[in-house]
Amino acid sequence: MSSKEQFNQISPSEFFYRNRDLAGFSNPTRSLYTAVREFVENSLDACDHSGILPNIHMTIKAVDPEKPDPKQYILTVKDNGPGIPSKHVPLAFGTVLYGSKFGLKQARGMFGLGATMAILYGQITTNKAVKVKSNADGKTRFDYEMLLDIQKNKPVILKKQETSSSEKGLSVSICLDGDYSKAGTKIRDYVYQTSLITPYATISFDDPKGEKFHHKAIIRSMPPAPTIIAPHPYGIDVETIRRMLVDTHYQIPNVDDKMIEKVRKELGMSKKKFTYDEIMKKTEKKWKSLTRPVRVVIALMSFLEADFEKLQRIRIEDVDLRNNKLIYWDYSTSQTLVADMDVESHYYKQLANTVQGESLTHFLSKRFQRVGPTAALEFCKFAKFKPETRVGNMTDQELVKLSDALQTYEGFRSPDPTCLAPLGDGPLEKGIERRFEPDFMAVVQRTASAYSGFPFVIEMGIAYGGKIETRGTTVYRFANRIPLLYDEGSDVVLKVVKDTDWNRYKVKNDSAPMIIVSHICSTRVPYKTVGKENVADRPEIEKELRLALQFLSRKLSGYMSKKGQAEMAKKRANLYSKYLPLVAQFCTELSGNKKEPNYKEMIKEETALTNSDGSIEEVKKNG
Amino acid sequence: MAKKQTKKETKKQTKKEKIDKSKNLISLLKKHGAQVYEDLENGEFPKFSIPNRSISNIIYDKKLRQYVLGTNTSLRSSRNSSQLRSFTQLLWLAFFANKLTHEKKSSTLRDVYYSSQAFAVDFEDQGESDNIIVDLEAVLSQPREDFYVFPEERSSIFGDLTIEYTIPGYEGKTQNLSSHPDGYAIGPSMTSAELVDTSAELVIAIEKGGLFTRFVEEQVDKKFKSIIINTGGQAPRSTRTLLKRLHDEMSLPVVILTDGDVYGEHIAMVIKSGSANAAHLKGLTVPDAKWMGVWATDIDKFKLPTIPMTESDIKRCYDLLKDPRYQEGLWKRELEVFIKIKRKAELEAFSKYGLNNITEKYLPKKLEESKSF
Repeated sequence: MSSKEQFNQISPSEFFYRNRDLAGFSNPTRSLYTAVREFVENSLDACDHSGILPNIHMTIKAVDPEKPDPKQYILTVKDNGPGIPSKHVPLAFGTVLYGSKFGLKQARGMFGLGATMAILYGQITTNKAVKVKSNADGKTRFDYEMLLDIQKNKPVILKKQETSSSEKGLSVSICLDGDYSKAGTKIRDYVYQTSLITPYATISFDDPKGEKFHHKAIIRSMPPAPTIIAPHPYGIDVETIRRMLVDTHYQIPNVDDKMIEKVRKELGMSKKKFTYDEIMKKTEKKWKSLTRPVRVVIALMSFLEADFEKLQRIRIEDVDLRNNKLIYWDYSTSQTLVADMDVESHYYKQLANTVQGESLTHFLSKRFQRVGPTAALEFCKFAKFKPETRVGNMTDQELVKLSDALQTYEGFRSPDPTCLAPLGDGPLEKGIERRFEPDFMAVVQRTASAYSGFPFVIEMGIAYGGKIETRGTTVYRFANRIPLLYDEGSDVVLKVVKDTDWNRYKVKNDSAPMIIVSHICSTRVPYKTVGKENVADRPEIEKELRLALQFLSRKLSGYMSKKGQAEMAKKRANLYSKYLPLVAQFCTELSGNKKEPNYKEMIKEETALTNSDGSIEEVKKNG
Repeated sequence: MAKKQTKKETKKQTKKEKIDKSKNLISLLKKHGAQVYEDLENGEFPKFSIPNRSISNIIYDKKLRQYVLGTNTSLRSSRNSSQLRSFTQLLWLAFFANKLTHEKKSSTLRDVYYSSQAFAVDFEDQGESDNIIVDLEAVLSQPREDFYVFPEERSSIFGDLTIEYTIPGYEGKTQNLSSHPDGYAIGPSMTSAELVDTSAELVIAIEKGGLFTRFVEEQVDKKFKSIIINTGGQAPRSTRTLLKRLHDEMSLPVVILTDGDVYGEHIAMVIKSGSANAAHLKGLTVPDAKWMGVWATDIDKFKLPTIPMTESDIKRCYDLLKDPRYQEGLWKRELEVFIKIKRKAELEAFSKYGLNNITEKYLPKKLEESKSF
């Protein structure tokens, strides 16, 4: 036998298949809940980013209602979002790790990875296809039925159909093993709490038992959408730098319709259809006036011998300089193809130059937030890099050194919070008010702060009394507009609430009808586990939470003492009108008098006195 | 006979005293009522001054040989909203006590609790009403028995003693307490009765009902010319009142027989010098009463079968060692022996040597001994 072990490369989907526990698909109960979350959050994210007020409808139906749990369920989530262009549907839902978001902004999920995981889980447990209906242009709806080829990480399209429809949006439906009798409470809580933190969304849910939950939007305006910003040097690691290098705009530009339009314009070939040769001829003439991205696209076209029509059908996957190969995906045939590159061609030089990348200072000041040319130069001095080093040529060791230095250098300014999208005082307050109808409520939004390079904002609300039916403090935890339901014991928010001495604020912690809503917004929420259910106690976050809670508690305390005074006064008045007549009666009999003493005035005075006490207090408060 | 003469005289005196006491009480109650009435009439909030019964205000009076209250008082005012309720309760109780005293009708502690419900005055539980009763005792410096409130009875008496009832419906009726072998319950009618005549020369108070029955069977009353009283554990106040009256009015010495343990010793002490709970009252103690046994030293002397003390028994011993009344003589000595041997013996332990061993052997010996201390 050979002593050599055999190493096989596995595809990303195979990797996730083998490690599905990590992504929250460990058992039927948890998996059903996770799938719900992934789809709902994808829909909300999509609507948020296109500025559409979300209207999301979810149904869970048992395939065979008579069977005992766990059993097969069909989960469908439909939204009114932007939809996905037809040609992107197979890759978006049929591969793992599609898409590239290297910029930073606050979103519920990353890369849409979870949704693919849910589809994968459904396929594994039931061997049924995912059904996707997408309408991106408000004219045609494309219906797909697909399976995922796990080994190859490629979609297998079983059915494709076109219908004309004016209703934009996306609907995803999977069949999966689940346990609704166990997961039901969590799912209903999830839907309810999501509606609380997304008061601008309408969310409805038809559950397998025939119950319908409808949470109508409370407000008609959306909070401002987060902007995409570059990462901060403190929040970076080697892998992120590597990805950024691949993604620099010195790199191959994304060849989409917009880009093609740009190329046509610069060449002055906007109107008609042109052959490949015509395009190349025109290029020779205009080369000097062309911008860098356009030059790169034309270089690509030269190796692919592509005209504009062909260019539209493909997506560049890799420029392999070592083997002089150009690798690309063909949408029309749904497969990966390879083209050779001629080393002698001057277009090759253009591509090579691009792949080698820009200078380090340029890279730092253009690709990171809070780094200007001066800061970049000073950093190079600190980290002992030559400022003109080409980033594309850096070795792995140099990248590690760069990453370490970025995190230890103290000269960078703190992160920019504009990439965050807190809900805002108003919507949060409205949400709490409408869902709980409390006697008292207060909300606060702290100013942005940062932990290890990631900006974050804490929003918090407190509500007391009224129609709140729970006794004791109920804490609703949210992170990036996602409700956190599991593993609350170890969460930093709970820790802060528990550490508070509520007696100081005149609240009986164990019996008070009190609700606390806590929302952490960050480009990266420091979850303790992969399942995204509890937030780790970073000192910076803990401090902000504490300050927010203290602010709200003081407000509550003011309300409680006012309420306490009013109650006391009422109690006093009641007490005197109950007992003084008795005192009069007994002392009259005891002393042998015939007539009761005149005590009625005393009750009146006592009642009036407490009232005026109360109003004096009011005046002070207002002044 | 000269002796009889004095007894008659004391009797007349006590009868007069009694009527005076009753009148006194009624006028005292009326005075308090009138004060409250006047305050209300003047638009002022009435209040009571109540002697403070907290531990810090309880002092041992060596002369009286009992615990008494110090001079601290607390004010219960109807002006204070947190005291208004208990002020009303106290006034109601005064009103209710007045009614009972007028009508000479007795009421138990539990009766008081229920009676309050007829008026809009509410007590949360009997514990609260019992507390208010003690408050009124302290305000009036009179035991609740004087205003006809009694505890549920459990102690009894037997022996040649003739009494004359004073309670309504039985006035003038006499009864000799040796006619019924189970003994007579010591209740309000007994404590308020006139003590007319007795041939006894001694009162024996026993801790336990079983031994009381045995003593009656063995005719201890005749053999030792005694009145036998079963205290039923810690002697209730009415029993202590009766003991005191037998001692004071009939000039009878009182001896006490208890289990040979720390609780027994303390039962004897309470009869002798009162309890801290009743420090606000006088006239419940028999300072001359003698604890006859079973002593710790008797256990060894009479070779009694014993059982080991529990942890709480031992803790109680150490607690009592700090009590000023246990600082000398017999009391201290026996307590220390208990701590040393860590064992105790019940009165029934004598049965090991025959059922009448306790009355034939132990009792005579101890009675003889007791004359000397």
